[in-house]
Amino acid sequence: MQKVIIVRYCEIHLKGKNRGYFEKVFLENLEKALSGIRHEIHRPSGRYLVDGFDEARADEIAARLAKVFGTHSVSVAQQIPADMEEIYRSVVRIAPESGTFKVQTNRADKHFPLDSMQINAQIGGRLLAERPQLRVDVREPQKTLYIDIRENGTALVFSDYIKGAGGMPVGTSGKGMLLLSGGIDSPVAGYMIAKRGMVLEAVHFHSYPYTNMQAREKVENLAEILSRYTGGLHLHVVSVTRIQEEIHKHCPDEMMITLLRRFMMRIAERIGKRVGAQCIVTGESLGQVASQTIEGMTSSNAVLESFPVLRPLVGFDKTEIIERARQIGTYETSVQPYEDCCTVFLPKHPLIRPDLAKVRLAEEKLDVAALLEDALAQEETVVFK
Amino acid sequence: MEVIYLDNAATTRPDAAATEKARAFLEDDFYNPSALYREGFAVHKQLESARRAVLNCLAPGGGYDLVFTASGSEADNQVLFSAGQRGNVVISGGEHAAVYNAARELERRGVQLRIAKLRPDGGADAEDLLSLVDGQTSLVSVIHVNNETGAVNDVLSLARAVKKINARALFHSDGVQAFGKIPFSLGAPIDFYTISSHKIGGVRGVAGLAFRKGAPLHPLIFGGGQENGLRSGTENMFAVMHFQAVCEAAAERLAENMRRVRSLNALVRERLDRGLFTVLSAEDASPYILSVSAPGLRGEVLMHMADDAGLIVGTGSACSSKSKASRVILACGAPDAVAEGVLRISFSAKSTEEEAARAAEILNRCGKELAERMHSSSCKK
Repeated sequence: MQKVIIVRYCEIHLKGKNRGYFEKVFLENLEKALSGIRHEIHRPSGRYLVDGFDEARADEIAARLAKVFGTHSVSVAQQIPADMEEIYRSVVRIAPESGTFKVQTNRADKHFPLDSMQINAQIGGRLLAERPQLRVDVREPQKTLYIDIRENGTALVFSDYIKGAGGMPVGTSGKGMLLLSGGIDSPVAGYMIAKRGMVLEAVHFHSYPYTNMQAREKVENLAEILSRYTGGLHLHVVSVTRIQEEIHKHCPDEMMITLLRRFMMRIAERIGKRVGAQCIVTGESLGQVASQTIEGMTSSNAVLESFPVLRPLVGFDKTEIIERARQIGTYETSVQPYEDCCTVFLPKHPLIRPDLAKVRLAEEKLDVAALLEDALAQEETVVFK
Repeated sequence: MEVIYLDNAATTRPDAAATEKARAFLEDDFYNPSALYREGFAVHKQLESARRAVLNCLAPGGGYDLVFTASGSEADNQVLFSAGQRGNVVISGGEHAAVYNAARELERRGVQLRIAKLRPDGGADAEDLLSLVDGQTSLVSVIHVNNETGAVNDVLSLARAVKKINARALFHSDGVQAFGKIPFSLGAPIDFYTISSHKIGGVRGVAGLAFRKGAPLHPLIFGGGQENGLRSGTENMFAVMHFQAVCEAAAERLAENMRRVRSLNALVRERLDRGLFTVLSAEDASPYILSVSAPGLRGEVLMHMADDAGLIVGTGSACSSKSKASRVILACGAPDAVAEGVLRISFSAKSTEEEAARAAEILNRCGKELAERMHSSSCKK
């Protein structure tokens, strides 16, 4: 007997002619998730099997594989020769002492002498005879014991499905630039988009000396957490201090956020083009704060030359976002109290429905091109592998 | 150019001469002082001699014992959880977080907590404090020198007055910012007094709790029974010996250091641009701490700018969205605009006149620049 891990995948079978490509990318991502751990990945049919690892690390490996986008579910199984005696011994090892159960067999090898129903009945019957406190319940058993008769003369026995992250393999849906603040929303937005297979690079804006190093460290910690799902992450860090000061100096106070967002979009697009991205990803949710109105979004979209903006959280409530942030493990970091964007310049009454024409007029007071060059010249990049 | 360090109330640069004196305890004399062989016993003798030496600097009149702890916070906690477990506990609003938050924890456990008002300079309002003390008071804790404003509380008189109201009440003072800096001899009405090494040129990892012989004190940490059972854990001998060296040096030059630091303090006060800065520290505060504020500007932003210009000073508190201003400064009655603009300039015995002069110059320059950057909106259309 040896322990193996079964990895089932989600939507790859939907992808027709591209299926081979999707499976290849998925396999690469599985390999990446297990880097540093001895293992082998095989691809029998319609799933992946991992073996050759230190059995004491089986749970850790299963957990890592479950996090890879594209994974539907993961099971830790026993692999044995497809022989009824061996199968029974293996089932006994994972069967409960009491309560309700059922045996469910899948027979890929149609040459096996017994059919699925017969295997269920024989194994289940022996188990009942040996453990009188057990009862069979085929509708809602407390435990299901799965037997999988493979074509190569082996069988897999297991009892638990670990839910996978779902989605599509990262690397199959292009590349996006995520605007990553220190808040709750943007890491979740990144997660949602990576889940659909997109490769991400992140850009973070700071306003030192109006914000501090602790705020930046917090963002780096968020990027690190996110990188575990996205298979690595490049974080571009850009100072918008001068831009904020110039806006403060020359433009109406209530336009600060609107104008600053436009600069952030421009910078993200410029970096995005350089690194081969095709879109911008933000954590905006419609109406959540003053700048996240449809007018605010229109005003920031308008500066982009060719990139669309993906806003995966646009229809989410704050509570839904928080719930997701907790699930992916970014919430605790996001709520640390460091300001990532300077509140020194924040107006008391920001413009809720900015008028594009007026915004453009106000912006004419600024040397946009020079400010962009200046900001991009000081860009730093931090790489999370 | 060398960075000017004026955040000595946070920590000080460890004194090199003391490091030399104590070096043997990192190298040859590494033995465990609890060990029974000759080498260990010799280290034990050194430990006891260091204890007497530190006590001699603090309480030359005798009557006190000292337990070495790992930090001033630990010493404060040990007092509060030993002596503040019943009735009510009275503290001033100017206490260091180690006392304040320990007292909050006592309150959560059912002890009544009473917090006395502060005067505008950060000193405890004595009248208010004494009005809170009654027959049920188990412990009164008043910081000796306020770590944010430098205000000096007359803890000997306060302790005497407290005992007059309730002879059984115990009195503690956190003397971390006072010890080795301002003239003081620990005496009769005070039961517990906290001191720390790294604020006077020592290293972190050692501090002390002096207690009147016979005062009720219980351990926070149980184990091998070191420090007379009051603080288990193998003693940090290097840090202890270093502590002894800096205590003795500080005691020897206390008056001279104080005179010099007072002149540095006066120089910064005089040179700071009063159009930008307000001085919060009173004239009679400890000269080692000078709290100023640039009302309307954010203290932390100024701190970063000064840092970039080669001057390190402290802020009232971190720029966090939860609290932009220090609890203590607000308790002094300062308006938000003042409290958010606080910078703490704190000197050490080794600070120089040139550093003080340059510090004032850098702060003036940064303050002016920031004010221009912040308020320039008046010229826009």
